[in-house]
Amino acid sequence: MIDKVVINRLATGVPGLDAILGGGLPEFSFNLIAGPPGSGKTTLAHQIMFALATPERPALFFTVLGEPPMKMLRYQQQFSFFDLAQVDKSIRFVNLSTEVSAGNFEQVLARIGKEVEAFSPALVFVDSFRSVMLEAQQQAGGTIGQQQFVQQLGIQLSGWQATSFLVGEYTPGNGMHPVFTVADGLFALAQNVHRNSMVRTIQVQKMRGQAISPGLHTFRIGSAGLEIFSSAVVPGDRAYAPQADRTTRGQARIAIGVPRLDEMLGGGLPAGYSLLVAGPSGSGKTILATAFLGEGVRLGEAGVIVAFEQTPSQSRTRAIDDMVQAGCIGLINTRSLDLSIDEIVQRLIDLIQRMKATRVVIDSLSGFELAVAPTFREDFRESLYRMVAVLSGLGVTVLMTSELEDRYTDLRFSPYGSAFLTDAIIVQRYVEVGSRLQRVMAVVKVRGSAHSNEIRQFEIGDSGIVIGDPVLDYEGLLGGRPRQTPAANNIEQGKPR
Amino acid sequence: MNHDVIRRTLAHRAGKGADAGALAEAAISTWHQAAVRLAPVIGAQGVEVLFRRSLHLTKATIPWLTMAVDDGNFVALLATLQARLAERDAAEALEASHLLLVNFTELLASLIGKSLTERLLAPIWTSPPRSFEEEVAR
Repeated sequence: MIDKVVINRLATGVPGLDAILGGGLPEFSFNLIAGPPGSGKTTLAHQIMFALATPERPALFFTVLGEPPMKMLRYQQQFSFFDLAQVDKSIRFVNLSTEVSAGNFEQVLARIGKEVEAFSPALVFVDSFRSVMLEAQQQAGGTIGQQQFVQQLGIQLSGWQATSFLVGEYTPGNGMHPVFTVADGLFALAQNVHRNSMVRTIQVQKMRGQAISPGLHTFRIGSAGLEIFSSAVVPGDRAYAPQADRTTRGQARIAIGVPRLDEMLGGGLPAGYSLLVAGPSGSGKTILATAFLGEGVRLGEAGVIVAFEQTPSQSRTRAIDDMVQAGCIGLINTRSLDLSIDEIVQRLIDLIQRMKATRVVIDSLSGFELAVAPTFREDFRESLYRMVAVLSGLGVTVLMTSELEDRYTDLRFSPYGSAFLTDAIIVQRYVEVGSRLQRVMAVVKVRGSAHSNEIRQFEIGDSGIVIGDPVLDYEGLLGGRPRQTPAANNIEQGKPR
Repeated sequence: MNHDVIRRTLAHRAGKGADAGALAEAAISTWHQAAVRLAPVIGAQGVEVLFRRSLHLTKATIPWLTMAVDDGNFVALLATLQARLAERDAAEALEASHLLLVNFTELLASLIGKSLTERLLAPIWTSPPRSFEEEVAR
């Protein structure tokens, strides 16, 4: 039997990065971090370096012209990962500007080689690669060309048993540079400005021997450095332990917390289902969602609510506020305008797992759409699909509310065409009966289950939603202009239904 | 930053009862060591820029340190500095060398932080003499 080589995978210390790399950074790989100025390249490099460097696994950081090293040290120190105790012990900075400005790349290579030999680093960083390139172009008369330089550096770096990174201002789009062929890994960072929001993205365009998650992943740079929100992946692709046993999905029923609504749903909402509550403004969607969470709390099930519209102090959500204060409900309340859906999903998953929540409310999809950065609005539906898939993979029961414009000429359930994404739909409408606005509610769909098809009148009282009897004596309710049915006249005349 | 350590280093390098020439030599050797420590990290250019700035700050107190800006590169500036120091008496030379190094370390600390500065420059300073108790303990 032939022993195959085992590739060690290093934990990069960047939240979310190991996941998209397919389980960590391969040891002895030669990587490229590319992106425009300000996209977070040096920060990413430093964050990885400070996480990985130890006295037994030292790191060498070569700085080249690009950014004055003093500035780099000054600003990078602001991040919490910058551990001064590691400097000179497990991390050494080496400035190459003298060699580079001399324009002799054999000298640059020789200096890098000399330092690497002297320090035997396990990690080597060269920042920034582009300054080396630009300089090479200006000094075209140099003894070796830039292509050879990069290739030789790549070969040297892999020969040293070091995991190495070239950091460079570089747009992978413009022509295939030989370095892309040599590199084992390619991290492309970008910042997209759309309208007035800016969204940072990272893409692992290549990583030899790894099942990476391709696609653009958004990230933020905070005081602790980069935090990557890997795109919500449909379960099966990634292992999230389901909160509830998935075999019970759709079998067990959970109480929704509104008397008689459970009956309408055919005996409660099947556990693990996603339910869309659609209705016009003020029809009682949030109250229904609150009842749903409240019932969970009463039964000892934790819940999570993602609120996009109302501030927790508003009286409407007082009940939710109390539950949050009591620690029974986790709240994600955000009105930031440059969120990515992945970021929300990541936070949601973390919170669900931390709270061991089984009930999740997203109130509302309309607010959600406003909160995500404009860049993502086009893909909102796709992202919603992924989010629902991830949540259903976790085994939680999800209630999403959706604002509906009151239109009486057509019957719509959601503005995103998201109706098909959910397992169950409840629709709320206003109807005019006897010169009054009345609320009605109907269960439109419960996947794989019998359910009531009645349109029921309901009222919102102090204790929440009170569902009345079926509205039998009117038709055309959903059109908003109900007419009394002939049957109603019969009833009035005392005839049996 | 403990300024005594700078004074002690200069005095130690120059030797007991040193004259201005010996002090100037001690100062220049300290500068060379600082450059060796710092150039890999902040670049030779970075060291030179900070040195020029320190000279500028110091000449406000010690006017005879004034040098022409185009006195050449770091090495040439150090040579001029050594000559200037050697012309003074020992006390003046020590004071000027001390202040120049103090200004330099403080300038560096203002840019990259006190603790990184101390960490980078620690090897060039003479370690403090052992106290009587420590000596006895040995």
